[in-house]
Amino acid sequence: MTTLGAIRRPVTTWTARRTSVGSVVPVPAEPDDQEVGRLFAAGQESALSLAYERWAGQVHGMAVRAFGPGPDAEDVTQQVFVAAWTGRAGYRPAAGPLPAWLVGITRHKIADTWARRDRQRRETEAAVSQARAQPGGPVTAGVDAAVTDRVLLLDELDQLGQPQRGIIELAFFEDLTHAQIAARTGLPLGTVKSHIRRTLERLRTRLEVDGAALRA
Amino acid sequence: MQHCAPEQLGLAALREPLPADDAAHFESCEVCRAEVASLQRAVDVLAVPELATPGAPVLPPPRVWAAVAAATGVPAERSQPSNVVPLRRRRPLLLVAAALVAGAVVGAGAVAVVQHRNDDGGRTVEAVALDPLADKDASGRASVVEEDDGTLALQVELKAPALADSYYEIWLIDRSVTGMYPLGVVRPGTQTVEVPPDLDLTQFPLVDVSVEPLDGNPAHSGNSVARGELKS
Repeated sequence: MTTLGAIRRPVTTWTARRTSVGSVVPVPAEPDDQEVGRLFAAGQESALSLAYERWAGQVHGMAVRAFGPGPDAEDVTQQVFVAAWTGRAGYRPAAGPLPAWLVGITRHKIADTWARRDRQRRETEAAVSQARAQPGGPVTAGVDAAVTDRVLLLDELDQLGQPQRGIIELAFFEDLTHAQIAARTGLPLGTVKSHIRRTLERLRTRLEVDGAALRA
Repeated sequence: MQHCAPEQLGLAALREPLPADDAAHFESCEVCRAEVASLQRAVDVLAVPELATPGAPVLPPPRVWAAVAAATGVPAERSQPSNVVPLRRRRPLLLVAAALVAGAVVGAGAVAVVQHRNDDGGRTVEAVALDPLADKDASGRASVVEEDDGTLALQVELKAPALADSYYEIWLIDRSVTGMYPLGVVRPGTQTVEVPPDLDLTQFPLVDVSVEPLDGNPAHSGNSVARGELKS
């Protein structure tokens, strides 16, 4: 599946280093993206540095888009790379490029941050309403169903195989029509349509079983 | 009329338009509409702009890498988190060096070259070529000019295409490409921007020209088009 990795290489990579006299010299050719992914999965420490150099900008760009520049976004970016490194056993180079995997983790961390904020908001509101001690008033504020369902459904996406996952990600995250997805992936239109249908059913089932809207 | 095909309802949940005859049925069919609504919940939850495929990269501050390195135990010193275009071999155009290579020039002669008076009264302390980066179409020259009052300015001659919906900005950047000062907006042609007083040029020797989108974000776009390195 070629489309899943369709993450543009960051504008650049840093390929010079300081020498003892402080001048800048080129270093020998850096490993290509695929090699970085392989080294990353193999746990080679230099691969974390390289992955950070190449893709921290993409990850941080997403974090800043969600939270604005500042501590929350920096926290997300940090969490993504720490989680990717500690969970590197879960990255299989054959399943897709490393940057696509990092973007998937970034989605989780953004959703987790929203959920944490929502929890804090409820706790604060609960404390406030308790302090006011209104008889009969609600003690706990409502759960934002979308926030908790998002965490749930991102988890469900992780369970999908290919090409289902790639197809639904193109629909959700790149806003492509089924015809564009077929063109991008080279899969027949009918295949794309039936995968979309089945994946949406699967996500609906997950919401019906575990979703916040029905539990709340 | 029979109900819409399940696949069509899946596409409708993604907000793709239905074919005309399906659309006519859909408008009047509670069953089909309920089906789409139930499938659409997942779409509404996940297809939000914040989770979309990454757009413009944003350079995280150096402390983020430091924190990652600390948390993972991976040595911190090597990685310079950077989306800024790497250095290429530069051709420094040092007037001092040129004067010395010329041979017989000594003492007052060398000083005369180094302290070449500019048209607008300053003395050129150093000049460096701005070389195009990667496949970019920009080049030029930057001269450090000392004004009569001792302050420094950067005279920038930029040869580059005019831009629409974006602009050129000139930066002084350190060698690790983590710290940087924006000196101002520049355009094709020659102009002078001030160097902040007391800024140590030996610590920020990279003269960088970037293309900045009109996005209200003051950080470096990561899209560098030309660069040179000051030597003194």
